[in-house]
Amino acid sequence: MNNNENIIEIKGLKKSYDNGKIKALNGMDLEVKRGEFISIMGPSGSGKSSLLNMIGALDRADEGSIKVAGIDLMKTKKLYEFRSKEIGFVFQMHNLIPNLSVLENVQIPMFETKTSSKDMKKRALELLKAVNLEDKINQKPTRLSGGERQRVAIARALVNHPSIILADEPTGSLDSKTGEVILNLLKDLHSKENVTLVMVTHEPYVGKMAERIVTVLDGKCQNIIQSSQAG
Amino acid sequence: MCIGTIKGCEKKLIMSFLSLVVKNPFRNKTRSALAIVGISIGIIVIVALGMVTGGLENSTQSTLKAGAAEITVIQTGSSSFGSGGSLNESLAASLLNISGVKDTAGILRATNTSTTVATTTSNSSSGGFGAEGGVSVTGIDANKLSLIGVDTINGTAFTNTSTNQVIMGTTIAQSLNKTVGDTIDLYGKNFTITGTYETGNFITDAGIMMPLSTLQNLTNNQNKISDVLVKVTDNANVTTVSQSIENAYPNQLSTTTAADEANRINQGLSFINTASWAISLLAIFIGAVGVINTMIMSVYERTREIGVLKAVGWRDRRILGMILGESIVLTLLAFVIGTIVAVVGVELILTLSPSVGGIIKPSFAYDIFLRAFVVAFLVGVIGGLYPAYRASRLSPTEALRYE
Ligand SMILES: Nc1ncnc2c1ncn2[C@@H]1O[C@H](COP(=O)(O)OP(=O)(O)OP(=O)(O)O)[C@@H](O)[C@H]1O
Ligand SMILES: [Mg+2]
Repeated sequence: MNNNENIIEIKGLKKSYDNGKIKALNGMDLEVKRGEFISIMGPSGSGKSSLLNMIGALDRADEGSIKVAGIDLMKTKKLYEFRSKEIGFVFQMHNLIPNLSVLENVQIPMFETKTSSKDMKKRALELLKAVNLEDKINQKPTRLSGGERQRVAIARALVNHPSIILADEPTGSLDSKTGEVILNLLKDLHSKENVTLVMVTHEPYVGKMAERIVTVLDGKCQNIIQSSQAG
Repeated sequence: MCIGTIKGCEKKLIMSFLSLVVKNPFRNKTRSALAIVGISIGIIVIVALGMVTGGLENSTQSTLKAGAAEITVIQTGSSSFGSGGSLNESLAASLLNISGVKDTAGILRATNTSTTVATTTSNSSSGGFGAEGGVSVTGIDANKLSLIGVDTINGTAFTNTSTNQVIMGTTIAQSLNKTVGDTIDLYGKNFTITGTYETGNFITDAGIMMPLSTLQNLTNNQNKISDVLVKVTDNANVTTVSQSIENAYPNQLSTTTAADEANRINQGLSFINTASWAISLLAIFIGAVGVINTMIMSVYERTREIGVLKAVGWRDRRILGMILGESIVLTLLAFVIGTIVAVVGVELILTLSPSVGGIIKPSFAYDIFLRAFVVAFLVGVIGGLYPAYRASRLSPTEALRYE
């Protein structure tokens, strides 16, 4: 696999809401290399989540071009297939299904793939082990702590072997200590599973863990800072 | 990724998807329970009415029975099932002279007022299908029993000269808990039950028969009869024969044929059927509204979750299938509960109330249950379609932003 290949290529991307009154993305440009870990920062309302939604094909842009994992998202009709194969989401809120066990929650994304239930279980268990939850696989999410829930969400995001993890403030609802555990886990799994990690965060210390920080302002990428830690 | 055959894998996947569909309705137990109660009521109505009307239908079909008399002759102006003696006994023999008549039987229909059944029901004027709320007693010669539809007797028939022997229809025997050899109090006298019979006709099977002369004496109707049963010869036309009888005794005798009677009962039944369909439709409508409401609430509450399912790659089709499936799970559960309650309820009412139970034999025809199943399924589909469609069309970003 060519590590210099751009997995995300965005040019002049625009997206507005409320009949053009709100310009969430206003000529966004961004390139991300395969396997990279970037952090997206910027004030509230600047368009960070909107950018992530575009990359994850949850919504279509109005103008510009966006290519992710070789797929032109302005044109493709198979958005669900793209999301299922290429993207793993981690949200600020864990968004787990309360009446399903931890194990079942992790398996949910595999329903759209042709995975046998045996392989589904194997893969889910492997990831739950990786996030240190192998002893809680049969519990309901409501009985887990915030950090544990977020770890389940990370396992769920990785279960289909995506090429990109999109994390929108994954530590936003956690205390800083738990947040750090989650961050380290994400960073760890990103390199172990060889997956590109794009993470939105408000906290500078979180951003610094990334290889690169992208600042978004008024729907545009303002400046790109190479993180001091980046090797 | 799947190691087995593609088909095998899909089967397993469908299994885990189904388990999710079955689990989801129980997330809000109260709301789901209320929806289930609503639909169950509809199912109870459909099954219970189906069992009762089906039972009545079976009974009318057996009124047209080979061997039994085709024509009933009564005095003009008296009620269709004559009660008490208004005709002279000799008429039965006279009618044999009319061409096309093969056999006749003079019978006396009366209503007893002193059995246990009668004492419990004689005060209610509506008292069911038996004449005037008591037990209907028919006087007939033992050798003519086949004309009234009694072909086989469990036990023996009464002898014509006896004054203390009766035979009894199976439905009334069951509700009075009597069998051959038991005694019964009629008109203040003790009778021994020599046999029981089952004709399939709900009126006949809810009655008691004794020798004509015995009943005539007991009711002060010496030499009187209420009806003459007429059996026509094999090649004769029933309508022609009944016309000849009426022509021979103008303004004195009226005839009804078994076919007429069946028709009349069928008309009544078709009215009951229409009414029960109308009630069922109303129940279904209310049930469907309940399901739609339940499912819309459920989708509304799970907006974010549906957004997540879309984000992890679930197709709109799958989300539609999930919500629709949940709705069908609700209604099929209601089908099971409603059917059980209806069957147990009908049986319970019929055993606890002998006056009704003595007359109606509920039908257990599979199509009653099939109909209820189809209705439950359709209510599930109809009630779930709109909420499922709405869920499947939710924009993922909007759904995820939903608080
Ligand atoms: N579906 C939508 N409908 C209307 N307006 C929207 C929608 N999504 C985003 N916006 C608007 O677009 C702008 C950018 O929103 P976005 O969620 O991308 O910001 P953000 O940078 O993620 O902010 P935050 O840090 O608070 O999460 C905001 O003004 C927001 O109100
Ligand atoms: Mg945001």
